[in-house]
Amino acid sequence: MSLASIGSVMAALLVIGIFLILVLNVDYLAAKLESQVEIKVHLVDGLSDTIIGEIRKEIKGLSGVKDCVFVSKDKALKDFSESLGENSYLLEGLEGDNPLSDSFVVTLEDPRLAPQVTLAIKAMSNIENVVYGKEELEKLLDVTYFLRVGSLVIVAILLLISVFIISNTIKLTVYARRREIGIMKYIGATDWFVRGPFFLEGVLLGLIGSIISIGLLATGYYYIARYVEQQMFGLLVISLMPFQEVLKSLTVSLLAFGVVIGSLGSMISIRKFLKV
Amino acid sequence: MIELVNVSKTFSDGHKALKNINIKIDNGEFVFLVGPSGAGKSTLIKLLLKEIDPDQGNIIINGKDVTKLKRREIPYLRRNIGVVFQDFRLLQEKTVYENVAFAMEVVEASPKEIRRQVPIILSLVGLSKKSNLYPSQLSGGEQQRVSLARAIVNGPSILIADEPTGNLDPDTAWEVMKSLNEINHRGTTVLMATHAKDIVDAMRKRVIAIENGTIARDDKKGGYGI
Repeated sequence: MSLASIGSVMAALLVIGIFLILVLNVDYLAAKLESQVEIKVHLVDGLSDTIIGEIRKEIKGLSGVKDCVFVSKDKALKDFSESLGENSYLLEGLEGDNPLSDSFVVTLEDPRLAPQVTLAIKAMSNIENVVYGKEELEKLLDVTYFLRVGSLVIVAILLLISVFIISNTIKLTVYARRREIGIMKYIGATDWFVRGPFFLEGVLLGLIGSIISIGLLATGYYYIARYVEQQMFGLLVISLMPFQEVLKSLTVSLLAFGVVIGSLGSMISIRKFLKV
Repeated sequence: MIELVNVSKTFSDGHKALKNINIKIDNGEFVFLVGPSGAGKSTLIKLLLKEIDPDQGNIIINGKDVTKLKRREIPYLRRNIGVVFQDFRLLQEKTVYENVAFAMEVVEASPKEIRRQVPIILSLVGLSKKSNLYPSQLSGGEQQRVSLARAIVNGPSILIADEPTGNLDPDTAWEVMKSLNEINHRGTTVLMATHAKDIVDAMRKRVIAIENGTIARDDKKGGYGI
């Protein structure tokens, strides 16, 4: 009986844990990408160094701009050919007639300022065009928002379900001892004296369930993270949150959830029997 | 001391269990509560234990108005009122000794106090030699005396017995009455609800008769009546 309830707490916490890992990783990814958001400012061809310097000063003066780095068109071509690696021969012969333009790479203090800063730069003279990963960034922010809210809702529902399961399991123990509880109440036991053992039982069930689920999730995550790192290294720009950090958050929150589920479940199950 | 002042209780189904009851019981009294089934005896006992509250009136036990007690104060009221029931309500998996000790554990007495007090009480009800037996190994009268021992082990000033001889044959019923009388002589107020006419008639104690939710009779040294 207590095995069944440990099992159900474990199952609920397992699912909660998976969502937690998901949210942690999306947050991690979002934070990483957000810090990488940059605005690319292409300049009109053939500007003098003084004008370029002035534009640079003007951009740096905008609020929310963290840095503004000049990339000459020669450097841009070199970077491009490097990024092509073995296929860099495709660009051979372009050295004399570089089709790329001089540009600035602008990084921001807050990625949400991107549209505003872009507009401000577009209004300056000698700017050919301004681009930033607008849609990608907005999509990402949307996705993180929905994932957070969605996970929160699902975790809340799962918590309720597992409290219900635990309270039902403990209700069986309480029911088996209802005579004893009734006698205790007539003799003059305080509510907490009666509750005590069931409370401990609930907390213990919750703790055991959470420890098992932490173990399973941590092991699973460890191997998945390692696999992703080994197999997909280089293919993905993204990386998973480091194992240590996930383990820390997972342990703290699942232990807390386990204790809350267990104690709440036992409180609910015994409430009815205390009214004597 | 127990005092009921203008107490009325109507249940949610409209049944008027008690109508404007006034009772005063002094310390050390032995009182029989008689009357037909459903007359309001059980309601009265439930009111004294604050299992239910009256619609009107006040119930004063040892100088405290029970109707004004908060929920968390109820345990402390009950520690001053021992109760025995018709069906004994013993824990079958505990021995006689453990059943009595249990009552002291519940009120968080020290193990030392428990070891000292339980044998004293068991000898008072004449069960010293049976302290290691289980309830199923005892006669009904003996079981009821265990339940008496449990009710008084914490030294309550009041003992309420709800038809304590209801399940017993006449001989064992008298064993229980002897113990109850003994407890009363040691200073505990005893309030016993019963249908046992012969016992009430023989004991010559105060009798309060309840009929249809009102007090029909209150005799200082009465008999059961008709």
